[in-house]
Amino acid sequence: METIIKDYISQELVRDPELLPLADEASLLDSGILDSLSLLQLVVFLEERFAITVGDADLLPENFASVNTICAYLRAREPAKQAAHG
Amino acid sequence: MGDSREGRVLRKIGGVAYWAGGAPVMARLPAAIGYRLACWRGDWLFRRHAAERTELAANLRQVLGSQLSPAAAQDVTREWFRLASCEAVDVKRLRHSALPLRRLVEIRGREHLETALAGGKGAILCSAHFGSFDSAFSLLNPSGYPVTTIGRWQHKYTAGLSAAERRFWALVYAKPLQRLRQRPNIEPWPGHLDVAARAAAVLRANEVVTICIDAPPLDSDQARAVAVPFLGGQASLLPGIVTLAQVTGAPVLMTFLHRCADYRHQVLEISAPLPTGGDTATAFARCAAEVSATITRSPAHWRYWASTTDLVTLGLVPPLRDRSAAVARSVAVAS
Repeated sequence: METIIKDYISQELVRDPELLPLADEASLLDSGILDSLSLLQLVVFLEERFAITVGDADLLPENFASVNTICAYLRAREPAKQAAHG
Repeated sequence: MGDSREGRVLRKIGGVAYWAGGAPVMARLPAAIGYRLACWRGDWLFRRHAAERTELAANLRQVLGSQLSPAAAQDVTREWFRLASCEAVDVKRLRHSALPLRRLVEIRGREHLETALAGGKGAILCSAHFGSFDSAFSLLNPSGYPVTTIGRWQHKYTAGLSAAERRFWALVYAKPLQRLRQRPNIEPWPGHLDVAARAAAVLRANEVVTICIDAPPLDSDQARAVAVPFLGGQASLLPGIVTLAQVTGAPVLMTFLHRCADYRHQVLEISAPLPTGGDTATAFARCAAEVSATITRSPAHWRYWASTTDLVTLGLVPPLRDRSAAVARSVAVAS
C-alpha cells in the first residue's frame, strides 16, 4: 500500500523534483505537495484503486499529512469496508 | 479629490451612501431612468476622483499600450466609472426572484449549458471579474441552474476595512447575491483542503460551478500559478479550474456578461465547451486567452484596472520601484 501511494504521489503530484525521493513520514502539506486540488486528485486515485469512498468529513489534514497517515487512514477503514461487504 | 486621508474617507462615505441609499432607489425606478442616473454618478466620480482616474488610465495605457491612445484611455476610464455605478443598480435589482434584473438580461448560449448538463457531470462556467459578473452568477439560479461559486468575497480580504465596513458590504453586496444562488460560495482560503472536493461534489450532483480565473494569486498560491499570455503580456494565474475539469470530467464553458450601449440591457453569453484535455498549462492558456480577448474587446468592463496592486500581482505591470527605475533610465538615455 505504501509503495502504491508513494509512487502515485511522486509521479503525479510532486512538482518540485528536489522533494524526491519521498519519505513515508515526509509532510505532504508543509512541503506544498498536497493542496486542495492535488488532494482531490489523490482522493480520486484512492477511491478507484482501493474501492472506497472518501467522505467530505474525512478530508482532514491529519488523514493526509504523509504517506504513513494516508495508509493508517486506509487501514482504519478496512474493518468498515469488510463489514459492508460481509 | 486627491488621494489624501480625507479624500479616501470621503470616497468611502460616498460609496456607502450610494450602495445603501442611491442605488436601491435607482433600482426601483424605470430601468431607463435608473441606469441613466447611475451613469451620471459615474461621470461625476470620473471628474471628481482625479487620483483614481489617473491611476486607472495609466494602468490601461501600461497594459494595453499602443492599442489605446491617451484620449481612448480617458474614454475607457469614464466608461469604467459608469459601469461600476451601474453594477450597484444591478445588485439592487436582484430583489424577489431577480425578475427586475432578469427582464434586462438576455442569456445567449443556454443550449451549450443544457448540452453540458445533459452529460451528467455538471458544468464549470469560467468567467472573469468582468462587468456585473457576480449578478450574472446569481441570475442563473432563478433561470433554472443552481449555482455554486468558487471565490472569496472581496469584503473579507480587502485590506484596511473596519469590521463595520466588512459587515456593511456583506449586507448590501454579498447577501442579495448569495440569497439567489441558494448555495454558499466555496471560498478557497489558504489551508482549506476540502475546496476542490466540495466543488467536485457539486459537479457530481450535476450542478453548475462558476469561477473567475483572473484573480491575482494569494502569496500562498504563487507556487501553483502559471504564466500565460494575457492582454499582450504574461499573467500569473491559477490553473486549478482545468485540473478540476480533468479530474471530474466536467466541461468548461466561458461566460461573460456584457452591458449594452443603453446601459440597462445586458447579454450573458455562454460559450460552447472548451477542450481541457492534455497539458494543464496549455489547456488553461486557452481559457485565459478567451478572457483576454473579451477584456480587449471591452476593456472598461474589467474590474482590475483600478487596482495597481492587483495588476502587479498578476504580473501585468511592474512594481512601482521598477517603473521609477525604467523612467529614470529612459530620461538618462534621452538626455
